[in-house]
Amino acid sequence: MNISGLSFNALPPIDLPFRFFLSGPLFIIACALLVLFSGEALWLSRWQPNMLALTHGFTLGFLTMVMMGALLQLLPVIGGIGIAKPRIIATTSHALYCAGVIALMLSFIFSHHWLTLTALVLLSLGLGLYLAAIIWVLIKKISQGDSINGFRLAIISLAIVLLLGGFLLANRVGFTVPFMPIDKHITDIHALMGLVGWAGILIISVSFQVLPMFHVAPNMPKYIRQYLGVSLFISLLFYVFYAELALTLIFISHGVFAVTLFYVIKQRKRKVPDTSIKYWQLAAATLLLLNVLYFLPDSFYVPTQTPLWMALPDKGMLLTAIFIYFYLLSVVQGMLLKILPFLSYTHLQQRCLIDFSAMQYIPHMHDFLSKKKAMVLYYMHVLSGLSLVAVIFEPSLYIVFTLLLLIEFVWLFILMVKCMCLYFSVNRQINLSNKS
Amino acid sequence: MSSIPEYMTAKHRECDEFFTEAEAAVAKKDWSLALTKWQSFAGELTEHLAQEEEVLFPQFEQATGMTAGPTQVMRMEHQQMRALVQSLDNALAAKEKDEYLGLSETLMVMMQQHNMKEEMMLYPMMAQHLSDSEQLIEGFKARKVA
Repeated sequence: MNISGLSFNALPPIDLPFRFFLSGPLFIIACALLVLFSGEALWLSRWQPNMLALTHGFTLGFLTMVMMGALLQLLPVIGGIGIAKPRIIATTSHALYCAGVIALMLSFIFSHHWLTLTALVLLSLGLGLYLAAIIWVLIKKISQGDSINGFRLAIISLAIVLLLGGFLLANRVGFTVPFMPIDKHITDIHALMGLVGWAGILIISVSFQVLPMFHVAPNMPKYIRQYLGVSLFISLLFYVFYAELALTLIFISHGVFAVTLFYVIKQRKRKVPDTSIKYWQLAAATLLLLNVLYFLPDSFYVPTQTPLWMALPDKGMLLTAIFIYFYLLSVVQGMLLKILPFLSYTHLQQRCLIDFSAMQYIPHMHDFLSKKKAMVLYYMHVLSGLSLVAVIFEPSLYIVFTLLLLIEFVWLFILMVKCMCLYFSVNRQINLSNKS
Repeated sequence: MSSIPEYMTAKHRECDEFFTEAEAAVAKKDWSLALTKWQSFAGELTEHLAQEEEVLFPQFEQATGMTAGPTQVMRMEHQQMRALVQSLDNALAAKEKDEYLGLSETLMVMMQQHNMKEEMMLYPMMAQHLSDSEQLIEGFKARKVA
């Protein structure tokens, strides 16, 4: 039995997850500038070099970045054990990873041999080091549970994403991998493993914990907790051989998750208005909408046959954009709104276990991140998401998307900085109180 | 007869019930309902903490010899919860809705984490080490303690 989890000794220093969180919005701000300078041509196809830079800016620069930081903290809270030598590993992997994502984005934009090679080396080292540290925890005797099993599948998926991404980059600089056809199918597997295996399964696993904990919701049904992550992972493996069928299974599984989310949220005991709940509801509604869009007959996407007043745009791009922006990004932002004040408070509270009198200096959770400001972020997110969909229909609207994207993520960055400043100022007060 | 994990976990859920009802009432500014539910919560919590600190923890410490281990951390967290309960009392008395909701979010998260640690680790350990655990629970049910 693991007693170390009881003492919270395993919580890594707060500046480690914070640096991952703070880096996230900066990458989206860079993405907004990329959208601005790329113009309408960006939206022609997913294979546009700048579009590749943009998708990796969103998925690696923001989503994976924030999820890496969150996992550093979630493992000790949920599993009772954190990574070994957290300061050196998190600092090194974060620095290498940030530099790697920047090099990768630049390598797509400028298509330069050395940039590609640099990205390959930096990302392999940065992400490889991080993965090794997390895998070391996940194969150890850690408190078991459905969430931890889900984390394992998500981490395996991330390792596959890195491996395939590495092959693809190596191919760009002229190395060929034996027995490995580098084609569109490999790229699709790489992308799906990242979006559904890594980000998707991690979000599902995290939902098992956070909905009961923050909202006093009932546990998700047992079969969902036990089988949803596994069935998604198997579908992804299946995708290698039977792409269409596997994709159908993946959409239906997400539809089931969406219905379960709605049910659990409706059954929650805490009914106070809450922005994170709004984000979860938006995410669930998105998954249902994606099912509708996926199962619509192909004629809806063909200009000459559509029964609508206008044809829907490129199906792959539309569905992927909605999945990333309205599902993944929504949940991650909703989580950040909870995690930032929660971490700040928990770290300070742990400091006051011994020096109880210092409790008086700790503000409550809404002081770290005010409810009204969180709600403003939510509406900004909905607006910028709608503008993204509009751009896919009508690329000339890209300036609107750029502006809304900038406003939203500068706002998120400000909220983060304010929360952290308050943390450090209270921390100083506690230090002074300890000395006196 | 119920075991320590079953009984004590059920008590956590009862506390959650009163707590969330009080919070929802404050959000709607139904102050009299909020006060009733809050008092039910505070009563349940006081009794629950007393059962742990006066009976279960000492017995566990005696049975295992671990006096500076998990029970000590739990005691310190109880002390912090009591401080938050006091602040919530004040916010409720002053009918300060935003202050109450900020504090209640804080106490809620602290309690959920605390409960998770007790339910996943401490209670199962107690059930394992305390030979007379079922009698203890029967005693709680008969309100011999607190």
